[in-house]
Amino acid sequence: MLPLTLFHLFLGLSVSLLGAFASDHQEETVKGFFGRNGTSQSTHTNNWAVLVCTSRYWFNYRHMSNALSMYRTVKRLGIPDSNIILMLADDASCNARNKFPGSVYANPGRHLDLYGENVEVDYRGYEVTVENLIRVLTGRVEPSVPRSKRLLTDEHSNIFVYMAGHGGNEFLKFQDNEEISAFDIADAFEQMYQKKRYNEIFFMVDTCQANSLYSKLYSPNILATGSSQVGENSYSHSSDKDLGVAVIDAYTHYVLELMEGINKTSQSTMQDLFSSIDPNKINSHPGVRSDLFRRPLDKTLITDFFGGVSQIEVVDDEEGVEEEAGLVGGNGKDSVSSTAPAQASFAIPERRASHSKRHIEPVSNTSTTSEAKELWGWVGSSTRAWGAVALFGGLVGWVRMRS
Amino acid sequence: MSSSYSSPLLRLGVVLPALTVLKLSAHLAGVSDVLLHDHQLSSPLTSFSQLQEGLYLFRHGIDPYNGGTFRHSPLLLALFSSVLPSSKVFMATLLALCDAVAAWALVRTWRARQNVPSSARDGLVAAAYLLNPYNFLPSLALSTSPLESALLLLAVMFASQKKAAPSLLSLAFLSHLTPNAILFLPPLLLLLLTDPHSHLASPQKISFKRHKVLPLAVEFLLYVGVLTVASTLVAGNLNWVAQTWGTWYAFTLPDLTPNVGMWWYFFTEMFDHFRPFFLMVFSVHLLIYVAPLCIKFQHDPLYALFILTGILATFKAYPTLADMGLFLSMISIFPETFPYLRFPIVTSLLHLHSALLLPLFHHLWLTQGTGNANFYYASTLVFACSNGAAILDCLFAGLRIAVGKEVDGYEVVQE
Repeated sequence: MLPLTLFHLFLGLSVSLLGAFASDHQEETVKGFFGRNGTSQSTHTNNWAVLVCTSRYWFNYRHMSNALSMYRTVKRLGIPDSNIILMLADDASCNARNKFPGSVYANPGRHLDLYGENVEVDYRGYEVTVENLIRVLTGRVEPSVPRSKRLLTDEHSNIFVYMAGHGGNEFLKFQDNEEISAFDIADAFEQMYQKKRYNEIFFMVDTCQANSLYSKLYSPNILATGSSQVGENSYSHSSDKDLGVAVIDAYTHYVLELMEGINKTSQSTMQDLFSSIDPNKINSHPGVRSDLFRRPLDKTLITDFFGGVSQIEVVDDEEGVEEEAGLVGGNGKDSVSSTAPAQASFAIPERRASHSKRHIEPVSNTSTTSEAKELWGWVGSSTRAWGAVALFGGLVGWVRMRS
Repeated sequence: MSSSYSSPLLRLGVVLPALTVLKLSAHLAGVSDVLLHDHQLSSPLTSFSQLQEGLYLFRHGIDPYNGGTFRHSPLLLALFSSVLPSSKVFMATLLALCDAVAAWALVRTWRARQNVPSSARDGLVAAAYLLNPYNFLPSLALSTSPLESALLLLAVMFASQKKAAPSLLSLAFLSHLTPNAILFLPPLLLLLLTDPHSHLASPQKISFKRHKVLPLAVEFLLYVGVLTVASTLVAGNLNWVAQTWGTWYAFTLPDLTPNVGMWWYFFTEMFDHFRPFFLMVFSVHLLIYVAPLCIKFQHDPLYALFILTGILATFKAYPTLADMGLFLSMISIFPETFPYLRFPIVTSLLHLHSALLLPLFHHLWLTQGTGNANFYYASTLVFACSNGAAILDCLFAGLRIAVGKEVDGYEVVQE
């Protein structure tokens, strides 16, 4: 009895340990893949952005400009429109009071037009509500909501959530008639965590007393930053003399300034971003909440959240041949050598010059086989056509003989 | 008929070549390019561009019946990819020759009906076929429907000459191109077993050797079977049945391209669960005309066949103008009915009206965009009305001849 139980225990332990080791090994391989290029240890595979401007009316031009500057940044750094949810509570560019219709400027001298010709606003005007934001974040949308208005993230998605508008202590005002509270946002993020809808979230807020908005978060893997502490206001940067309103907020202005110097291959980290904002210049103290975030900020790239940068690994020729020979199918094992050059044609050409000669053969090989097949097909159909015509001719001849 | 038409221009030997050459020169002048995609002149089952697409696919080893756009018979596929070239010029020549053959067949039928080796009206009959715009426009548009008209006229000609096998073979080939043609079998058999001469004025109960019907029918089915085998050989599999014959009768009607017929509009606006019922109704509708016509015109099966041509042209699924052109041209071999036509002018004006409206409303709807499908459908209704008027008038005239001139004090009673 006892030896049997001991044996079972030993079996169970060894299996679980082996399983753990195996999965550890797999995780090591995956982490190794992600860590091989660059210093980032992020395990995300796709990037999304939710950019929200919650204020309407002409005098809140700067909030729309905030959201649009973040839109421009993420789009420039590689996130496609299909992965961006842009919510603008009002239309500043086509506002009747806009002296420069069709454009939204980011700075007083009107040097940078954020609107351009390629802006896709997903939620506009009165569609920007607290309910819609929470539905978008948690994925609990009506079946009739189109794809472009859904946040179709998975557990490997890094999401950049940016909110701009008028806020206060633990709340943010939507459209002058409702508010979202920090608790709502925290619960929404927790729902996302439970539903495995994100890998990491970067939550940036530019409102008055913004730091209070992320104070209630409790889900893991969230990095949050705000433009001002509790009791402080966030100030606008400056106003344009011709437009007559403030065109951008100070915090977002400096963030944008930093971003404009970054491209997709940049290795700048989030620590650089947070350090670059000078509280004296923006007249408020931005805050960072990184206790829920498991990676070090000086190892987290800005492009992990702001850009849509993919990991690419070029596979060696010799490594890929053995398994891919089976995939070609039909040729089987006898012609591994002939399939190897066929696979070589998929490799990056500039990697090895010695393979250049091998590139030429497989192209002609495949083309002759397909041409031969086509020729044979034509011969076959031509024979069939002539056969049918012969049959018909025979029938006609037989009929003539009869009459 | 009196031989007042003694003009040398109207001799058959002049009319046929002259009009054929005229047609060819019209093609070479570029008329074909304008008419190629006209919906009145070619339907999806007879369109030249579809034929070329099918030939291209066939030549490249792809099964043309896999897609759903190619609906021509595999026999055409075989002919055009082996013996005959498929260029536009050749097609135009072929169709011009087909029309010439059809006109010649009509003339031979006329001669057989009159029991004369040649008559003064031969050229007129040929011109009535060749100059009919309903006939030469589709052949200029390189549609294959003149082929079908030619085959039917050949079948009728051979039957008038009592040559059973060629007649049945032509009808079998025609049945492969349009399955509707099987409906011509009963009057054709009756024609084979009696004679093509005009008995309209003296109707009697038909007398034919009934035991000969079955062998002829079996012979027809045999020809159809051999042609089916040839078609399957060309196509390589049996997909072609659903794609060609299936468009007509397998309760599908998949292609709703507008044409001059009555079916397409009904089925564009029909709910799906009514489709099978209405398809069945429309298909069976064609069947109901055969028996009554054959019974009523048992004394003159050629006339029954003629009326059936008109009925099928009006009510078939994918008609073109060539189908009606065949009917209207065949009137010319029944001159005994002309005095008894009640409203020939009304019919001709209706036809003129519809012939003008059809392309106009088609342009207004599909090219200019200021009209809608109802405009075009209304013009097809006018066309159907004019066809119906023609058929009814011919029907009446054919029956009225038997009554003869009205005599006071006497009443006509049907036995």
